[in-house]
Amino acid sequence: MAIFMGNKVTVIAGSTTISDHVSTVSLNREVEAVTITAMNDTVQNMIGGVEVSSVSLEVFNDFAASSVNSIFEDAIGSKLAIKLIPVTGTVTATNPSYSMSCLITQWTPISGSTDGAATASVTLPVTAITKSTSA
Amino acid sequence: MVPSTVRTNLKTALTSISGLRVMDYVADSTNVPTNNAFAVVGQLSMNYDFTLSRGFDQATCNIIVMVGRMSEKDGQSRLDGLLSSSGSTSIKAAIEADKTLSGAVQTLRVVSASPGTITSANIDYLSYQYSVELIG
Repeated sequence: MAIFMGNKVTVIAGSTTISDHVSTVSLNREVEAVTITAMNDTVQNMIGGVEVSSVSLEVFNDFAASSVNSIFEDAIGSKLAIKLIPVTGTVTATNPSYSMSCLITQWTPISGSTDGAATASVTLPVTAITKSTSA
Repeated sequence: MVPSTVRTNLKTALTSISGLRVMDYVADSTNVPTNNAFAVVGQLSMNYDFTLSRGFDQATCNIIVMVGRMSEKDGQSRLDGLLSSSGSTSIKAAIEADKTLSGAVQTLRVVSASPGTITSANIDYLSYQYSVELIG
């Protein structure tokens, strides 16, 4: 695979593909840095702690049945499965999928302005994540 | 979003305004009615990939409305009625009555209207250019 455009990401929330309601998506994988600096160290020393990844979505809201608002609003306070594929199509070693469980800590059912479509911008903590090259 | 369907359905929406002659293509020549208004649904300016994975695109369509010069005052009065944000002669109200254009788009908004003049056969016609933003 070569450099690729980021406009064909598949976003699946629960079992529903919501790509056509998403304008931006990013998955940020990060681990905590746990300090283990000892008395005789001359520079700080750290080891990797637990993963504290998050996924951010810019979503065009839609109150239609089974569409994005009901998917996210109904899941507030609970965990929702989200799957991302870099380029819509077959999952391979060069187009891996990321399946994660996200705690829905926030949702913006109403976000109005005079000059644009209603959107919801959310950043969700990831509580479990799996990278796959085959599904 | 199918551009030809969008233009056709915009034309249909505009024909709800009594007496407004509407074309959904840019004609080579026009026959502006002397006592009424004439609208041309123009070409779409398209911004692709409004959402991910070839979901929806965003487009802007310009609609030009001109009036015959039955008299200075009558022409401007006719345009005032079309320019109004509500009422039976409102361009904005007519287009936004069905924001999906019978399912042709997800949503739309009549964003602006700018005054000007259109010259046809050496005659200057008072006009407005409307900008319609569409997502679909």
